[in-house]
Amino acid sequence: MNKEFRLPDVGEGLTEADIVSWHVKPGDTVTINQVLVEIETAKAVVELPSPYAGTVTALLVEEGQTVDVGTPIITVDVPSQEGAAPEAPAPATPAETEPEPAQSAEPLKQERQPVLVGYGVKPGSTSRRARKKPPTRPGSYPATPSGPLSGGGPALSGPFIGGVGLPPGVPVPPQARTSPRALAKPPVRRLARDLGVDLGEVPGSGPEGSVTRQDVERAASEARDRSISPDEAPAAEPDAVANLSQRGPAALEERIAVRGVRKHTAAAMVASAFTAPHVTEFLQVDVTETMAAVRRARELPEFDGVRVSPLLFVAKALLVAVRRHPLVNSSWDEAAQEIVVKRPVNLGIAVAAERGLLVPNVKGADALPLADLARSIDAVAATARAGKATPADLAGGTITITNVGVFGVDAGTPILMPGEAAILAFGQVRDLPWVVDGELAVRKVTTLSLSFDHRIVDGELGSAVLRDVGSMLEDPVRMLAWS
Amino acid sequence: MTTETIQLLTPEGERVDHPEYPLGDDVDIKGMYRDMVLVRRIDTEAVALQRQGELGLWAPLLGQEAAQIGSGRALSAKDMAFPSYREHGVAWCRGVDPVKVIELFRGVNQGAWDPEEHKFHLYTIVIGDQTLHATGYAMGIQRDGAEDEAVITYFGDGATSQGDVSEAFAWASVFNAPVVFFCQNNQFAISAPSDRQSRNPLYRRSSGFGFPGVRVDGNDVLACYAVTRQALRNAREGQGPTLIEAFTYRMGAHTTTDDPTRYRLASELEAWRLRDPIERVRSYLARNGLADSTFFAQVQTEADELAAKLRAACLALPDPPPLALFDHVYAGENAILDAERAQYAAYLEGFAEAAR
Amino acid sequence: MTRLTLSRALNEGLRRSLETDPKVMIMGEDVGRLGGVFRVTDGLQKDFGEHRVVDTPLAESAIVGTAIGLALRGYRPVCEIQFDGFVFPATDQIVSQLAKMRYRSQGNVALPIVIRIPFGGGIGAVEHHSESPEVFFAHTAGLRVVACADPAEAFSMIQLAIASDDPVIFFEPKRRYWDRAEVDTAAPLTDALPLTAARTVLPGDDVTLLCYGPMVRSCLEAAIAAREDGRSIEVIDLRSLSPIDMATIGASVARTSRCVVVHEAPVYAGLGAEIAARVTEQCFYHLEAPVLRVGGFAIPYPAARAEDHYLPDLDRILDAVDRTFAF
Repeated sequence: MNKEFRLPDVGEGLTEADIVSWHVKPGDTVTINQVLVEIETAKAVVELPSPYAGTVTALLVEEGQTVDVGTPIITVDVPSQEGAAPEAPAPATPAETEPEPAQSAEPLKQERQPVLVGYGVKPGSTSRRARKKPPTRPGSYPATPSGPLSGGGPALSGPFIGGVGLPPGVPVPPQARTSPRALAKPPVRRLARDLGVDLGEVPGSGPEGSVTRQDVERAASEARDRSISPDEAPAAEPDAVANLSQRGPAALEERIAVRGVRKHTAAAMVASAFTAPHVTEFLQVDVTETMAAVRRARELPEFDGVRVSPLLFVAKALLVAVRRHPLVNSSWDEAAQEIVVKRPVNLGIAVAAERGLLVPNVKGADALPLADLARSIDAVAATARAGKATPADLAGGTITITNVGVFGVDAGTPILMPGEAAILAFGQVRDLPWVVDGELAVRKVTTLSLSFDHRIVDGELGSAVLRDVGSMLEDPVRMLAWS
Repeated sequence: MTTETIQLLTPEGERVDHPEYPLGDDVDIKGMYRDMVLVRRIDTEAVALQRQGELGLWAPLLGQEAAQIGSGRALSAKDMAFPSYREHGVAWCRGVDPVKVIELFRGVNQGAWDPEEHKFHLYTIVIGDQTLHATGYAMGIQRDGAEDEAVITYFGDGATSQGDVSEAFAWASVFNAPVVFFCQNNQFAISAPSDRQSRNPLYRRSSGFGFPGVRVDGNDVLACYAVTRQALRNAREGQGPTLIEAFTYRMGAHTTTDDPTRYRLASELEAWRLRDPIERVRSYLARNGLADSTFFAQVQTEADELAAKLRAACLALPDPPPLALFDHVYAGENAILDAERAQYAAYLEGFAEAAR
Repeated sequence: MTRLTLSRALNEGLRRSLETDPKVMIMGEDVGRLGGVFRVTDGLQKDFGEHRVVDTPLAESAIVGTAIGLALRGYRPVCEIQFDGFVFPATDQIVSQLAKMRYRSQGNVALPIVIRIPFGGGIGAVEHHSESPEVFFAHTAGLRVVACADPAEAFSMIQLAIASDDPVIFFEPKRRYWDRAEVDTAAPLTDALPLTAARTVLPGDDVTLLCYGPMVRSCLEAAIAAREDGRSIEVIDLRSLSPIDMATIGASVARTSRCVVVHEAPVYAGLGAEIAARVTEQCFYHLEAPVLRVGGFAIPYPAARAEDHYLPDLDRILDAVDRTFAF
């Protein structure tokens, strides 16, 4: 096999050398370490020994020529044998300077530059080796308790630890519980708690018999069989339907598959409706002043390009009412047997999107100035309508408002969002006869409907919140006074 | 205070006598010559192998053959040696197959000969650590009451600055341990000249610790032999430790990627070339009719054959199999390590094709 | 059964080993004539002689380095590092040589050496005498690292460590040296728990408390106090810090579903982190809360009059237990 020998770097970072004199010619037999040529570098004249044993086939450069490091200078025909060394010079002289990197006949082989203490850096691969099968999960512990407690005998019959024996009469507690706990990933445990589902009652379809998110959601929806009242489920019409199945040409019934948003909404509603005791209170409110305020606000530069609607004022009123009555912005934690009062108000806005009813929420709505609140409400509603709401948008709400007026009705009994304590619906704004200062007048009137979780909110509190919202809408200046 | 350097053979190959170190007629000088030539040839071949990418690195002993063969031949079969990482000449004297040393520098293992079988401990790469091991071993010899055994430990001039070496000197002296401290002062610790390690000649350090020190011409195999032999005798006879400073020169680089032209002059190298350890023995043997050209040719041939055999053996060394990584960490059980091994085995098994 | 202090129990265990195997040696500063600054080696030089119980020069690296040489010669040295904060000069010999030599030699060389180190705080000391450096050695492959917690464990564990063919770093809780308890000195060593096993000290249902060394007693006291809150705490003495006994730990957490690790060493990058990672990986579906850790702060060990703020005490341990229930 014809092997090439390239000019090595015989000293630190030298880039070229002059060929002084060849000691061999084509046809000569050479042995390993035999001197092939003298070269002159900036530092010294150096003899280059042959790394090969074989026959010289060609001298590739001439005496007197200046040659760059790495240039092939000679080829030697090496009789093929196993263990032939890769191309690199092998100087026999001691006190050798910087070694030449091993250069390969195969252009793809990477060079490895030796360092003081070893071979040097090996380039890593940049592509992945094919795998046969997906990774396996490391072994986990079985749900059932292992046998007797492990550990030494003496410990069980009353510990003697550094003089602290158990005081007489203090019983050693009984053996560990025998009923296995449910297995579930931490986020699933949280979901179960939020939905009020007892993990222990749910069959697990996940790895190692663990309970999955789907298992919990299914359990929440299967818990009851009450149907949902149509007013309060202003889901979009048949748009949410995925499939239409008909039996025969004159079908007596139409079956619509329950999928997607509708399915989850239904499950959530059922979970909410049949765990939290709902009470709804109503209040008719003269909102003439609010409507005037809406018109005036529209003209302010702060609201340029921002939609100002009665919804905005109702939202603001509710936020102020929440500040006055924080308990209404809370959640019932069944597992911990605690009411969790939430600090920020993440205001949910019910939106009729193509897929169905969505309730994205404005995070920290209570801290927003009015114009920003307007913008945020618009933004979340628009995103949801466009079908681009993220799980983060839809989760974490603490209280909700819903505008049923757009459907041309006055009032309803809204169902709480799961995990919330109150929901405020408001109906259409109508011109109605009203008594003002003892005289009949035509005023703009709407009805507020507040549903609340009676475990958390009693009648007095619910009424107070409703009254406060009503008062602020009657006279928006109260919103300023109470902020 | 003058520095006396013990010398029994001049650079020109002439014998000189020293009253404290008589050399008997039984000294195998031809054997020493052969050993030095073979060991140099191994060294040269190893450097070539490194240049060809077959070894990760090599620590050449070029120029230090006399110090190593001289002292190595002074050891009795029962003595124990604790080297650093350049004592391939002493390894040779102790019967360690040179391939075993090559394995370490090739990186197929970390030096795996059996220390007790050869009475030659594994190479210690951390500078100076082995001097404490040697001292402890010598203390073990004392407890065994083995009066015909001694210990020698090798280290360089650089190592004398390490705390462990001073601690070893202190302990060896207060416990009167039977250990010879053999310092090859080859003038450099990588690029640091020996006067960066000490203002005092190194052999004088032992007097501060209360035991004798002697400087010997490190390129004189006869002097190295005689002085080491005497020191070992003293140790075995309960006289405690000795420090021997073999004054020599590292003709090669620290390791194969080092560039000595950056820190020393070619003229210095040339001056030491005139004191070559092998040349002076060759001159002595030839001039005194103790060896003829046939002998020298035979030794050269033997050296070349040894080099070729070493090359072939080196190239044939297999890489360690992947799961062998987990062997020999502990004597007893370790469930954590077992789990790691099992996981890695499963991982390797999960590739669609074997690695190239 | 005999009532012994922890330091006396160690003394008895060392004596037992010296009697059983003539190759066993003890070496360290002040271990011979003085009997050790904590009297752990009291009386041993008198009975076994200066060759076997050696007062060494003041040089920790050499204590370990020469022990290696002696082990190469066939001896079984038991080194004492006088205080935890002084192990660092010996770290090179421990990490570069002691830990690696079996592996380096492909099994040809064994170094059956024990390095005893009194560790931990709570004795009102000046700097460097209250450290907990165990994790540096647990992180070093080739070493076994153990910690005894009480007199009975000290008695058996020191003998098992000496009998082991692996190098063992043996941590002794210095503030517990004076604790007394019944020790069955007649029980055969074969009955004792193996060196690699953890020990359930107090069974419980609600949460697993993992600890070792000086914290075992603290955790026991905390567990007993917690009964008044209606909490049932399971206390496990790890005993072996490298390797840790995941079988025992995992089985416990699978039952209790909550885990707290307690050690004096700083929490940051401490042994608790390794345990928390493993418990999380192996008990993921069982966990009701993340694994919490109680330990020292990320500060150098403080001055004596402030150390009570640093060391985990009963209240801090139970506070962590409360926090694990808040998830």
